[in-house]
Amino acid sequence: MSPLEYVWAGVMAVIAGPAAFEIFGVGIPITLLMVFGGFLLGVVGGATPGLAGPFLMAVSLPILLSIFGFTPDALLPVLGFLVGVMKGATVGGSVPAILFNTPGTPDAMMTTLDGYPMAQKGQAGKALRTAHFASVSGDTFSDLVLFTCAPFLAIIVEAYLGFGEKAALIILSMAFIAAVVGVSPMKGMIAAFLGLLVASIGTGEDFYSRLSLGTEVLASGVPLIAAVMGVLILGEVLVAFENMWRERRSQSQIKEVAQSGDNHLSWKERKALMPFIGISALVGTIIGALPGIGSTLAATLGYATGEKMHKGPVKFGQGTPEGIASTEAANSAVSGSNLIPVLSLGIPGNVGAVFIILAAESIGGFNPGPTVFRFTTSEVNPELVIAFGLFTAMMLANIFNWVIGGRIMAACGIMSKIPNQVLLPMVLLLTLTAIYAQETSFVAIYFALAFAVLGYLLRKLRIPTLPFVIAFILAGNLEHAFRQAFAVSGGDPWFLFKSPMSLFFLALSVAVVIFFSRPKKPAANKAVEAERDA
Amino acid sequence: MHSRRVEIWLAIFFAVFAALTAFVWAPLDSETAAIYEFRRQVNIGDAMLPMVAGSGILLFSVVHLMLQLRRLQDEDVDPPFDRLTLFFYASFGGLLALSLIVMFWAGPLALALFGPSGDDSVTYRQMRSTFPWKYIGFVLGGFTLVFGLTSLIEGRIRWVRVISSILAVLGLILIFDVPFDTILLPPNGDF
Repeated sequence: MSPLEYVWAGVMAVIAGPAAFEIFGVGIPITLLMVFGGFLLGVVGGATPGLAGPFLMAVSLPILLSIFGFTPDALLPVLGFLVGVMKGATVGGSVPAILFNTPGTPDAMMTTLDGYPMAQKGQAGKALRTAHFASVSGDTFSDLVLFTCAPFLAIIVEAYLGFGEKAALIILSMAFIAAVVGVSPMKGMIAAFLGLLVASIGTGEDFYSRLSLGTEVLASGVPLIAAVMGVLILGEVLVAFENMWRERRSQSQIKEVAQSGDNHLSWKERKALMPFIGISALVGTIIGALPGIGSTLAATLGYATGEKMHKGPVKFGQGTPEGIASTEAANSAVSGSNLIPVLSLGIPGNVGAVFIILAAESIGGFNPGPTVFRFTTSEVNPELVIAFGLFTAMMLANIFNWVIGGRIMAACGIMSKIPNQVLLPMVLLLTLTAIYAQETSFVAIYFALAFAVLGYLLRKLRIPTLPFVIAFILAGNLEHAFRQAFAVSGGDPWFLFKSPMSLFFLALSVAVVIFFSRPKKPAANKAVEAERDA
Repeated sequence: MHSRRVEIWLAIFFAVFAALTAFVWAPLDSETAAIYEFRRQVNIGDAMLPMVAGSGILLFSVVHLMLQLRRLQDEDVDPPFDRLTLFFYASFGGLLALSLIVMFWAGPLALALFGPSGDDSVTYRQMRSTFPWKYIGFVLGGFTLVFGLTSLIEGRIRWVRVISSILAVLGLILIFDVPFDTILLPPNGDF
């Protein structure tokens, strides 16, 4: 098959795939329906403070696996749903930021700076339209970069890197994530190695399951989804419980402002926003392609860049659409490009990408990484068809976003009024139920709770959780690469330092850790500092 | 970053834990050593990954310890845990344990008390997919968890929260159970 035929096969896998139902004799493809469902859930969830895209993806995954099972046919509907959630949550996060000065997702923090003042001036509708327009433009741009860059990067990696170099590349990625996330690279590295250690429990190639202490519970290994959801979701929920219990402050009454100002966003105004959106989308795309760097930093950089460009009468921070556009284009542009390391290298760079990898690993038949992009001509590479199907699903989500995203956003304001002390206990029960639905055993709930405690302790001790989770997921690949490279070298103990490329990757890993260990200056933006120090 | 004292103790804890893992737990609790020879071929054994992981933690916790020993000023003097933390998590842990016990046993208990008896008696396993038995544990345990936690956080009991908690549990039944025959609500898969 030629490359263009692969692209077309991916599009057809979505459009002409299994139908969910028929309307007037026309089948509605199940993947299309799932993308729409995910997008809808994402916008509503993103508009609800306390919920965020990764949480919704985490809870949805076990349900989706139960519905679709573990066959290759399940890949596109499940991945399509998760992609829809990811994109929907990105635009939904701006709703409470604009209407109630409460960011629905952390990266919408900067949106409050201009969005809320606009709402106070009676221009909430205009602010929401601006946020939607900028967000969807940034997201679409970022997706186009993903579609063009990921295959080339993957082909280069596959052509030039052997097992040793791949092992060194995984080490570099883990070092980079550990170094840039959190306040101390040393604690990030401790978290990453802790992830490797936990991943080695109950696994290995021998008959006896290593580190199982002779117990049956540990011999079958740590349930992947329960562990990841425990650390990432339940750990965060526990911290939130404690904080709310400590504060126990009454929910302040939300002051309603009559929306009588100019709420229309004309084409002329949209055109005037384009330079801000363009620059911010570029900033967000570059930031998103680097593993471990959050969308909050992208939003802050986009906002700062926009502020320098802005010459209008209303300054940034006083309620100007350019401020919202700069922020939203940047944080939305992260969502597409952060799949570049996932699809081209098999390395998840953020929490959302972790769940894409988890879905692919759980279902099987699609292993994100450089081998996906093998354009074989003699026989069909089904993984490549799935990859282009995923790109098609992303574009469908963008189309939904362009066409109806704005209307759904406007209807989601009510979600911001649900108090967290009511929502989060429900989130706990929902998460436990979702884990049980997947594993059908209370043991999985105990594992999830144990990992929730671990996630809680890591957060309280200010040890970043992302390096832990990413190392936990990559441990299998790393060990496989180690074993293969060692075998190929004929048992040479210096197998990792043989090639100049792997030496370069390892040297860069050390350099990254040392560079980010320098004393940090206080961040200008508190949200970025909070994300950095989390 | 926490206070210098907390960070030093943290580094010492990880260093000791890592040393024990890398040099005691991993080699003793794995079938093959880090490197082993089989049929004249040298291979990486199962002990390698945990030993590398332990050594990595050891290395970086020692470096962290050095950096903290050199540190002069405390950036943040708030301790990560205090008596309030202990009190909250004791209450939370008790509530969670109660909820899970109720969730696990309420269904079988209700069946034993109110189910058919004598020659018609059945086990919970036989009834785990039938109304109302399949919902009893989840509804009671789930309600205890959601309502109890909300009340614990708010510090008071409100009728409106009773309603919202019931609605939450019913909502989850609608999401997980009603549309799917293959999904079992907790604790029905364990019977």
